[in-house]
Amino acid sequence: MKRTGVFICHCGINIAGTVDVKKVAKELSNHTGVVHSEEYIYMCSDPGQNLIIEAIKENQLDSVVVACCSPTLHETTFRNTVKSAGINPFQCEIANIREQCSWVHKDMEKATEKAIKLTKSAVERVHRNESLDPISIPVTRRALVVGGGIAGIQSALDLANSGYEVILVERSPSIGGHMIQLSETFPTLDCSQCILTPKMVEVSKHPKIKLLTYSEIQDISGYVGNFKVKILKKPTYVDPDKCTLCDECTKVCPVVVPNEFDLGLTGRRAVYMPFPQAIPATYTLDIKSCPGLLPIACGKCADVCEPEAIDYDMKPEIVEEEVGAIIVATGFDLYDKELMAEYGHGKYADVLDGLQFERLCSASGPTTGKILRPSDHKEPKEVVFIQCVGSRDPELHCAYCSKICCMYTAKHAMLYKHHVPDGQAYIFYIDIRSGGKGYEEFVQRAVEEDGALYLRGKVSKIFEDKGKIKVWGVDTLSGKDIEIDADMVVLATAMRPSEGAEELAKKLKIALDKDGFLSEAHPKLRPVESVTPGMFLAGAAQAPKDIPEAVAQASGAAAKAIAILSQERLFHAPTVAKVNVNLCTGCGMCVHVCPYDSLSLKDGKAEVNEVLCEGCGTCSATCLRAAIEVKNLTPLQVNEMIGASLGG
Amino acid sequence: MAEEFEPKIVAFLCKWCSSAGSDLAGVSRMEYPYNVVPITVMCSGSISPLYILSAFSRGADGVLVSGCHPGDCHYIKGNFYARRRIALINKLLDFIGLEPQRFQMSWVSAAEGTKYTEIIKDFVKELKPLGPQTKLGRDL
Amino acid sequence: MVSLEDLKKEAKQILKENKVKYIIGYKKSTNGLMPVPAFIKEPEEVEKLVWDPTCVFNLTRYLVDEKRRKTKEKEPDERPVGLVVKGCDSRAINILLQEKFINREDVYLLGVSCENTGVLDEKKLTKKIKGEKVKKVEFDEKDNFIITTQEGKTKIPAKEILANRCLECKANFPVIYDVLLGEKAKRSIDNPFESIEKIESLSTEERWTFWKKQLDKCIRCYACRSVCPMCYCDECVADTISFAVTADTTAEEKAQKIKWVEKSPVSSENFIYHMVRAIHLAGRCIDCGECERACPLDIPLRFLNRKLEKEAKELFGFEAGFDPDQPSLISCFKDEDPEDFIR
Repeated sequence: MKRTGVFICHCGINIAGTVDVKKVAKELSNHTGVVHSEEYIYMCSDPGQNLIIEAIKENQLDSVVVACCSPTLHETTFRNTVKSAGINPFQCEIANIREQCSWVHKDMEKATEKAIKLTKSAVERVHRNESLDPISIPVTRRALVVGGGIAGIQSALDLANSGYEVILVERSPSIGGHMIQLSETFPTLDCSQCILTPKMVEVSKHPKIKLLTYSEIQDISGYVGNFKVKILKKPTYVDPDKCTLCDECTKVCPVVVPNEFDLGLTGRRAVYMPFPQAIPATYTLDIKSCPGLLPIACGKCADVCEPEAIDYDMKPEIVEEEVGAIIVATGFDLYDKELMAEYGHGKYADVLDGLQFERLCSASGPTTGKILRPSDHKEPKEVVFIQCVGSRDPELHCAYCSKICCMYTAKHAMLYKHHVPDGQAYIFYIDIRSGGKGYEEFVQRAVEEDGALYLRGKVSKIFEDKGKIKVWGVDTLSGKDIEIDADMVVLATAMRPSEGAEELAKKLKIALDKDGFLSEAHPKLRPVESVTPGMFLAGAAQAPKDIPEAVAQASGAAAKAIAILSQERLFHAPTVAKVNVNLCTGCGMCVHVCPYDSLSLKDGKAEVNEVLCEGCGTCSATCLRAAIEVKNLTPLQVNEMIGASLGG
Repeated sequence: MAEEFEPKIVAFLCKWCSSAGSDLAGVSRMEYPYNVVPITVMCSGSISPLYILSAFSRGADGVLVSGCHPGDCHYIKGNFYARRRIALINKLLDFIGLEPQRFQMSWVSAAEGTKYTEIIKDFVKELKPLGPQTKLGRDL
Repeated sequence: MVSLEDLKKEAKQILKENKVKYIIGYKKSTNGLMPVPAFIKEPEEVEKLVWDPTCVFNLTRYLVDEKRRKTKEKEPDERPVGLVVKGCDSRAINILLQEKFINREDVYLLGVSCENTGVLDEKKLTKKIKGEKVKKVEFDEKDNFIITTQEGKTKIPAKEILANRCLECKANFPVIYDVLLGEKAKRSIDNPFESIEKIESLSTEERWTFWKKQLDKCIRCYACRSVCPMCYCDECVADTISFAVTADTTAEEKAQKIKWVEKSPVSSENFIYHMVRAIHLAGRCIDCGECERACPLDIPLRFLNRKLEKEAKELFGFEAGFDPDQPSLISCFKDEDPEDFIR
């Protein structure tokens, strides 16, 4: 039988105000296996902890229950306390008699009764706790960053500049993400490309960064500190080492397809460079639009390529890497225009989304920075901007706020006015969210200096009429119907997780929230960590956010990754599953349910990889033979806790 | 007048969402009936139907199982397995004639202190008219 | 029609070719109405084999004993066991395969189709023929059984004497086999869960009264468990008897055993025992009806398993025993699994 000590904290009057702590201590002192029981005003204080240490030594305690606040707060504190007194930290359990008792009840007698049950339940648990040692695992001191937008670039640079090797994987032919498509950035109006391209170049030149573009994650196995990654490197059919960027190939390529970089406002060839500052600076032959390689149906590009850089026989390649930490920065896409048919996007040439308008404003864009209507290349004199297109619409579209649209719409209105001084910008909005350094002032500037006309209300109808786009709506402040004969309409379309993020999340075993963004481990306290140890989140893949926020999170994620990579060994909680081989029949049901692939069958019996196991216990509830349980929260322990909770 | 019946309820809460949600109810000082004694487990996926039967067998008047909302599971998918397993035991309890009010399952996130409070309040209210659970209580 | 001669021929062939170490089938019993299991090792013995609607046992249960025996042997005979399987029995094989309890090469399956009939319920038949000695049972393919006794032939409508499970069986042909005898005739059943729905339509208190009356009868003889091919655990979680408590067992070790259920046959413990059994058979029970047949107290145990079979189908679109490669009911999920019971 164990010798358990019970320590009841008053927490000032937080507990003692509602729970008769003396009665709890007395009641527990009569409980089987409890050899010491006392209360004190603040157990977590130094004198409180010393009291525990003294009691352990005096009474030769081998286990401890502290009845106090939630274990999320002081479990670590008290486990360290008992450790310093020579007891295994896993012989200490917490009974939560504050959050789950004293703070939610008023009747002292009843609350005391419940506190006794809660404490006895913890005593029953600790009576059957095993002493455990943390599981030690070595660390591969390199990192993988998935996604080469601003967040991925920032994470990769921070990691590399701290001395760790980084593998940066980007799905498209160049890094840069959506930021490279932008014209100017709010609230400073610096040129987006001018501030991003130096970072892109730094990535390409950095000796610690291995850049894999046109590549996708195929498979990930392993665990924190020791991931194995398979990366599929798609063939570009152009050897970047031989290519001299002479551009002869695009001149002869007979195919024209919409240019993704300009959101379809221009065309590109099947062999192309995504944009002039692309990193890596090379061409890609897009197999989907090329008339055919096997057999070669055209072959013109190879014919004109003097350095013979074009290689139709290039094969997909699987690159295998080992890393210790992973940062996921897969970014966002705009909400499908097909789903927003009511605004005429995709139907009318002069109804654009925000990113398309960025391209129109951009000096490197299809109109070299002149704002012209795509339909007839005339300068639009009246432009309607519509906010919350698809956002904040739980019935039909996305329930969430896409966060950046208020700001970039103000920016668009401003840029438009700078380009077309005699034009008028109208902005339909629900309300303006301009929290952020210099943001509110920026919006005010759009109104005061650039005369943007903000109309609070929703648009009811958009249709084309005699070369104009008629916008009908209501100004809910004045209650008046509004009709505008616009030359152009710009939609602030909702941000959604980038395509393929869901599939990637499944491979990485990262959870998604209800909107499909990657879930952080804790909404407040662990915003850059995923629930899977060793995997971190950066940028708009986690939630809509603007550039400074994405950069901040990216640096945060890098710091978190460095916290792992800077260590030679990691320690993993030892409260993992264990198999009773005598009872195991090898049916494999536990293997199937394990979210971490930590179970396998060996010689017809289940076997736990303790390093992978997170101790969730789903295996234990699945097993029909009671052959697998999680250490220190076994069915036996739970069953005894049930008894104690019912006062029996 | 006889004292009002006070049901005894065991609540199995997952550590990361529902137990955290009940902590939040505490932090926000939301008052609710004391009839529920929570047992925090790692994941709703670890809650065996045997736990539920054991609680009834040991005299619980009601049993609550609570986990993270689908998609929010700290262990990625434990709550999906729980949903299936618990659906089956729920149907079986009903089939043998246990009052359906006596067993409940909920999704309570770490942010839903209010929801947790309401669930407990309603649960206690529904159990009071039923009186003590004697059908499965151990009669030895 | 399944021809007994064909069955014998196949059996003889595989024994002659040494393909199997022995065959488990059915043979006439020396006194009772229903046949008994036959373990046939020599080709000459195949003449003993019988096949007719009185072959009720699910012989797959013997694979559990076979496996236990085999694991103890130093140099086990690796040849498969030949086994006569009906539709339901073959689904039991699929579950044992799914749970890796056996390997496909451990068994050679002589599948016999029930061809639109099924097997008899001994109790129902005994009532009908009132003590006469049955010589032969045939099916006339017009939904009647022809029972031959010393008094002559009697025609009895199949519905009246078929086993309950066969009345609700919709796949009365083997789904896995090495040899198939008879045809895969799929029968149409209006509502396979009619009997369950009857109980469901009762009020909560009526259901409770029904089950209380039934389960109070249980003497905890564990016949239901012993006869069940899915109850192959070495140590049953619902059991506190089979724990090997020896003189060396310390009090501490005893304290480490969970008592989910007390062994006394009192109402509460009977309920928990049967519910644990039902929940552990969810998605695994293939409705061979052996538990109910073996029960000496005539407790309608099938209803418990059948209820969960119905829920598995309706809630999760899951049917047990048709695909050995699919994951078990509770070791998989779908995103769209219903959750209207969850608040």
